[in-house]
Amino acid sequence: MANERQATTSLYQETLIAGLWRENPVFRLLLGMCPTLAVTAAVKPALTMGLSVIFVLLCSNIVVSLMRNLLKPHLRILMFTLTIATFVTIADLFLKAFVPRMSETLGPYVPLIIVNCIIICRAEACASKNTLIISIIDALGMGAGFTLTLCVLAGVREILSTGAIWEIPVLPTDFVPWAAMRMPVGAFITLGLLLGLVNVTSKRMA
Amino acid sequence: MFKIKHFIQQSWLLIISSFCFGLLIAVTNAAWSPRIEQNKIEKLNRLMGGLFTKAENFELETELEVESVRGKKVKSNVYKAVSDAGKCVGWVFNTSGSGFADKIELVVAVDEDFKEITGFDILASNETPGFGDRIKQLKWRNQFAGAPAEKLQLVKIGEAEKIDSEIVAISGATVSSEAVVKIINNSITQIKDQMQKKELISNGK
Repeated sequence: MANERQATTSLYQETLIAGLWRENPVFRLLLGMCPTLAVTAAVKPALTMGLSVIFVLLCSNIVVSLMRNLLKPHLRILMFTLTIATFVTIADLFLKAFVPRMSETLGPYVPLIIVNCIIICRAEACASKNTLIISIIDALGMGAGFTLTLCVLAGVREILSTGAIWEIPVLPTDFVPWAAMRMPVGAFITLGLLLGLVNVTSKRMA
Repeated sequence: MFKIKHFIQQSWLLIISSFCFGLLIAVTNAAWSPRIEQNKIEKLNRLMGGLFTKAENFELETELEVESVRGKKVKSNVYKAVSDAGKCVGWVFNTSGSGFADKIELVVAVDEDFKEITGFDILASNETPGFGDRIKQLKWRNQFAGAPAEKLQLVKIGEAEKIDSEIVAISGATVSSEAVVKIINNSITQIKDQMQKKELISNGK
């Protein structure tokens, strides 16, 4: 009995940690590249994006997990998209109503969460096959992994492009900002370097 | 009969959840849309303040209807910019039209006789980030400040610094630039006509 409980707890822990490192959606699965490249010019929009994705991921995983036994195999993708689109619309309305300036900064990238592969991937790979609790933990782990990655990427880019982080100056005033880091090219270079770093680290660890 | 039964058996979940999700969105929208509208009004006031630095107050003068390029009726509110001495220093109106990806909503400011454009700003747009959304940049928008309030022309090569009826397009974003010029051209003449008919401005004779 005790063994069984221990096994479940470690399964939960493993699911949670998988999203953060071993199966990190951005660095390991290379999913959701569009927002990763587009909204990481500064930390604030990146964090907002991450939180919106966590909300959508959590809600869609809960709904999909609850209806997993009722799903018809050939209609499942349709159901996933319908569920995701609903919660993305709600998230979009929320941002428009309560943080209008942030909603403008993110522009079309919030509605584009609908086609973010991470969410549909988790619905298909996890929520449609697992219990409610596992699905919730998976959503939190994957969402947190995505958010953290986005914030790290955005942090590097914001420091180098403005000398500030979270809009608070941290570098000496004579620092010359690297304008390229704010552009798409900065996103590609930073992402590439971080991916390389993660690969080297995980090889060392193995 | 069998076909309908089969259809329902396969898709009942889809039908029911579509209905539930639709209801959920409708409720959320009903709850938050007043706030969203309020945010839009606040933004409009902020933008108008930026377009007319010498204006103290903006009064809603009249609500007009403009026919868009595609023949659709678009509502346009005309605001009177009043200086602190109580004098009319110009007019501001909002208008909209189709852009590259989605609707572009603009606020356009003109002087008190509708002869010169004082400037414009973007109220809402969904143009491609990095390309079309450069219509928001002050550097490009400054070309309109002081341009005559008549037919503007979009050119690909020209001097952006020279203030005249020629507007230099943003390279890589010709469609978005064209959309802005078209929206302004289309609405400014119609609003001018309607304002003259209502005798809110003199008819220039």
